[in-house]
Amino acid sequence: MAVVNDRALESRDRIDGGESVADSAKSRDVPLDSSVPTASLESILCTEELQRRPSRPPDYEKENQALVKLVSALADSPTTIFRTLAETIQDITQCDSAGLSLLTRDGKTPHVDGKRFYWPAIAGMWNPHVGGGTPRNFGPCGDVLDQNRTLLFTHFERRYPYLMPVNPAAEECLLVPFYVDGKAVGTIWGIMHSDRRKFDAEDDRVMASLGKFASSAYRALIHIEDLKFQVSEREKAEAEVRELARGLEAKIRRLVEANVVGIVMWNLEGAITGANEAFLRMVQYDREDLACGRVRWMDLTPAEWRGHDEGAIADLKATGIFQPFEKEYFRKDGSRVPVLLGGALFERSGKEGVAFVLDLSEQKRQESARLYSEERYRVVVETASDAVVSIDDKGSIVFANPATATIFGYDPAELAGKPLTLLMPEYMRELHQTGFKRYLATGQRHMNWQGTELTALRKNGEEFPVEVSFGEITRDDHKTFTGFLRDISKRKQAEQALRRSEAFLAEGQHLGQIGSFSWRAATDEITWSAELYRIYELEIGVPVTLELIRSRVHPEDVSLIEKMTMVDQAREGHDFEWQYRLLMPDHSIKYMHAVAHATQDQDGQLEYMASVQDVTARRLAEEARDKARSELTHVARVMSLGTLTASIAHELNQPLSGIVTNASTCMRMLAADPPNVDGARETARRTIRDGNRASEVVTRLRALFTKKDATTESVDLNDAARVVIALLSSELQRSQVTLRHEFADDLPAVTGDRVQLQQVILNLLRNASEAMSTVDDRPRELLIRTERDEGDQVSLSVKDAGVGFTPHVADKLFEAFYTTKSDGMGIGLSISRSIIAAHHGRLSAAQNDGPGATFSFSIPCRREDGLTSDNAGAATRMGSARDAA
Amino acid sequence: MESHPETSSIERPLVSVVDDDESVRESLPDLLKEFGFAARAFSSPEEFLASDCFGQTKCLILDIAMPGMSGPDLQRELKLRRQEIPIIFITASTDKTVRPRLLEQGAVECLFKPFSATALLEALNAALRVN
Repeated sequence: MAVVNDRALESRDRIDGGESVADSAKSRDVPLDSSVPTASLESILCTEELQRRPSRPPDYEKENQALVKLVSALADSPTTIFRTLAETIQDITQCDSAGLSLLTRDGKTPHVDGKRFYWPAIAGMWNPHVGGGTPRNFGPCGDVLDQNRTLLFTHFERRYPYLMPVNPAAEECLLVPFYVDGKAVGTIWGIMHSDRRKFDAEDDRVMASLGKFASSAYRALIHIEDLKFQVSEREKAEAEVRELARGLEAKIRRLVEANVVGIVMWNLEGAITGANEAFLRMVQYDREDLACGRVRWMDLTPAEWRGHDEGAIADLKATGIFQPFEKEYFRKDGSRVPVLLGGALFERSGKEGVAFVLDLSEQKRQESARLYSEERYRVVVETASDAVVSIDDKGSIVFANPATATIFGYDPAELAGKPLTLLMPEYMRELHQTGFKRYLATGQRHMNWQGTELTALRKNGEEFPVEVSFGEITRDDHKTFTGFLRDISKRKQAEQALRRSEAFLAEGQHLGQIGSFSWRAATDEITWSAELYRIYELEIGVPVTLELIRSRVHPEDVSLIEKMTMVDQAREGHDFEWQYRLLMPDHSIKYMHAVAHATQDQDGQLEYMASVQDVTARRLAEEARDKARSELTHVARVMSLGTLTASIAHELNQPLSGIVTNASTCMRMLAADPPNVDGARETARRTIRDGNRASEVVTRLRALFTKKDATTESVDLNDAARVVIALLSSELQRSQVTLRHEFADDLPAVTGDRVQLQQVILNLLRNASEAMSTVDDRPRELLIRTERDEGDQVSLSVKDAGVGFTPHVADKLFEAFYTTKSDGMGIGLSISRSIIAAHHGRLSAAQNDGPGATFSFSIPCRREDGLTSDNAGAATRMGSARDAA
Repeated sequence: MESHPETSSIERPLVSVVDDDESVRESLPDLLKEFGFAARAFSSPEEFLASDCFGQTKCLILDIAMPGMSGPDLQRELKLRRQEIPIIFITASTDKTVRPRLLEQGAVECLFKPFSATALLEALNAALRVN
């Protein structure tokens, strides 16, 4: 209705130059008790006149035509039916104005309970007033509805003043109500503005017909309006749906075109009718293939997956959707792609639908990688030689690998569910429990979780050391702890053995006073052993630098060291040894003997490993030996006549030379002119002095020869012999002579001159060695023996395996100057015999049973009263010397 | 070089004596003076080397055996210093083998104590003639 009203109002909203009735009606409240006197209703009604007046003959044809026209108008142009009706009324009744009044709510909406009549169409002179209306409760239409019958009014403006301005005035107005569903909804009316003609019964009858038509028209119009409304509503709804759909489509298109997942349209016959790029890429088909219908999901599905498809189709038929399931498609090149798809039919009983297709290749690959990684991990754990044990948050074992059996002795199966503490010694269990509980509660760890050494317990009760590392995994709020346990008993044993051997080495170094050091040639890194620090008298551990070394090395040997290191670097890794001295802070000297060996360290770099021995004691001994030897040699030299002669000569030649020179000088001086008497006197003086000097020499020599200055002491022949043997050892070695000794135990001491006695022993050993110098067919063996003889004698013998001597020679052996040596002076034995004689002993020689000879002497032991008549003087001297000693 | 120093009025050639024996040091210089030489005596080669006569010595009478530096040591030292002073060795030793060796080393003569004045003079002349 609103549409009609709007359209009517559009064309009739304003009347040019005048106020519309609608406006005037709107603007004016209906005065029921206005000041203007209004006529009564009866006064303006003359309805009964209709029957009294002569009636014109009915024009049925005109009537029919008009009705036909109306009906076709209703069919053709329902919106103008009221206008047509109004025109028909006017035409048939031949009145001046005709129109309709519809009862409306607020002047627009037709309503049976409306308060206002509205004129939707007016034909004739009142046409300009279309759109106007009258109030329901005070107006001619209202009266008609009140009385529910046709009414004829005359000059109704007399009663209804608001109609006054509505021109032209209505001489007569015939109003007929019409009804819809038994309810009055309006009137149709005709108006005569003059008394040219008056309404009659025919008009009444015709109007009644037209009134019925008006009902129909009204109903039809309402219906049409309803329909229109419905249509427009539906159109609106459809538009909304379309809008919605468009919006939705756009949204869905967004998804489709985003190509995050394949989207296809399919039909149950197996074709794919539409697909986005994502899908096409997945299966490697292009748009052309799609368009040509070459992309068919049935063909793309490998045989073994058909069953799944059938299941999906069943679901579709039942529910209209199929839940996501996995399958595979063949790509264009024949390879397979794993997919996940789910979808729905467009219509429940349709044949077409849509589906999403998700490429699972990546997931599958990751899954496979994860499985592979898990597999690898599993293999590691299975094949690890360390025990791998997992426990839950109750401390119970949930997993143990095969190595657990090897290390602990438990089969993994029998450990399931057992507490971890089973694998620990008794005394460790509580500590573990406490710590574990604390960790679960507070997250505090009571020990290092990586590489801690603990003690574990084997099934057989044996405790052993382990190194443990473990970690924690949380899944679904469950904590699992997995640990690697390494049996380190062997390592511990090795460490112990190493420590022991290092201790031995250190001890050995200490015992032997051998220090060691290593020197990395490239980096000059020097490492000393503890013993070396001790030898150098430095604090153990002090970093070793060349400065430090120089501070200890004897200044005279520093350059030696430096030269050696430079030479070494040039040699690039040869072994070498050298000897040097240390000068200690207390100015004592240590003798060092170093031996270095070139080697390669673990990086292949040149490294020297050296041993340094403190040979001070040895050197001092050697020096003492050398000194003793030189002393002895000196003594020997003194004792050898050849030397003696030379020394005598030397001693005497000096003063003799002086005498000769001075004498020559003297003569020359006296022969001078004038004679140099003073000078001569001086030379004479010197001559006398030199003469005296010469005689002193002789005296001294004689004294030396007669051994006036022999010292006497208690002498252990064994010791004396040992010293001599030591002195001769290198000489004998050089001569390839093997020396054996058989010394009597607790040999009593003798009284005498140790050095002289040693001289004798030396003489005998030398002779023995020389006697064997030409021997090649038998070992050059020397035997020196000491023994106690009867009669409190001590004897020493030297036996050789040499050339020996014939009996003829035996007599002459001890004669002075007798020698078989080509360069000898033959003095040795002679003097030796005198020495032994002076000791109250005897020196003798004898042939061996085998080759060689044995020389021996025997001396009486020390006696309180060692006096003999032979050497009373010597004995006295010895005695007095002894008393003094 | 003058062979008969008594006729010469120029400076006497210096002869240095090095011997650790006091008798020699006392007696020899006088004899040398009698021969017409200037003479100086030193108890050791070190003393001689340190002295100011070192440069002027025309002939050296040198004992062989001495404590510290020996006669041959001094001979070697002089060679090293390229001081070619003629040397007459004297020795109290009786070892006759030393003489040829020393002569090989460049000594003018080696005399055995006691030696005659004549032998000494001959040696001195030989020494000065060499130069």
